[in-house]
Amino acid sequence: MSYGYNPYAQPGGAPPPGAFPPQQQQQQSPAYQWFAMVDRDRSGKINAEELQAALINGRGEKFSSHACKLMISMFDNDASGSIDVYEFEKLYNYINQWLQVFKTYDQDSSGHIEEGELTQAFTQMGFRFTPEFINFLVKKSDPNTHKEVSVDQFIVLCVQIQRFTEAFRQRDTQQNGTITIGFEDFLSVAIGCSY
Amino acid sequence: MSADFLKDIFKQLDKDGSGFISADELQEALSNGSWSAFNPETIRLMIGMFDRDKRGHVSYENFGALWNYVTDWQKCFRNYDLDNSNSIDRQELQTALTSFGYKLSAELLDTLIKKFDRIGAGHVLFDDFIQCCIVLQTLTTAFKAHDKDMKGVITIDYEQFLDMVFSLTI
Repeated sequence: MSYGYNPYAQPGGAPPPGAFPPQQQQQQSPAYQWFAMVDRDRSGKINAEELQAALINGRGEKFSSHACKLMISMFDNDASGSIDVYEFEKLYNYINQWLQVFKTYDQDSSGHIEEGELTQAFTQMGFRFTPEFINFLVKKSDPNTHKEVSVDQFIVLCVQIQRFTEAFRQRDTQQNGTITIGFEDFLSVAIGCSY
Repeated sequence: MSADFLKDIFKQLDKDGSGFISADELQEALSNGSWSAFNPETIRLMIGMFDRDKRGHVSYENFGALWNYVTDWQKCFRNYDLDNSNSIDRQELQTALTSFGYKLSAELLDTLIKKFDRIGAGHVLFDDFIQCCIVLQTLTTAFKAHDKDMKGVITIDYEQFLDMVFSLTI
């Protein structure tokens, strides 16, 4: 996505000349251009595999299929497993919001940020977490070295945190930061909002 | 199960001879009774349980426990797959979960089927059934830890809530 510099938008080669006539205003927006490159089979829809083939972080690593499926599912209203260009534009804008934040802290454009930077990124987004919780997230995200969070993992984290926070807010009727929740409701939220 | 037999299985699974079973190697070895690949999320959950050094693989030392775990699930699955269809339908899932001690509403049962039925057929295969049960187990354990008076209702703050729901995601 428009992560700005090298890391992300490397959709394996430009479209053939003339394939996307530039006369239409809407196709000149970055999201439309991006969609055209990602939609390799020209089906007018992109699925998680096409998205994954197009996304590379600064170390040349592919985005996880988990992250790609999550991103598609967020805007895949008819649950077909793929999204059209209109849905893609929403996804594009949504993801870009998180990426702007990530980019600020990813000084060497490696596509990875460390624990301290993750803390700052969350603060910038309006979340205040204890160091223990941030540490827990880093460990979960980076099971091997427990040190850093990749950009695709960061997107997954942001999406999940936002969903769960929304679910929490709905139940925090007195707005005192605590909820009283029954077993079944708890299961529904935990299973329904996770991906 | 004899040690020799177990060693044989381990050798067969350990394709690259690394001395460890990776997620890919385990995935290749297991079948869900259909042509689709074994649920990678189930593999990840199971490797995570028996991966002592947290490297994403299982050593021979812990392999016996992992193998027992898989075969126990196979027995369990067969028990509840009453019509031998190689899948658990809604009714069978309800029976299974009730016998595990869950009393779940029809809505939640629907949510479970929808969530864990990867092929969209309205029933769950062996691998998805394991995932469903592990997820329920994990969440139940997390809930019970807060439910001191066993009333089925807990009061938790924001981070406690996130901690609990994140115990299975990501």
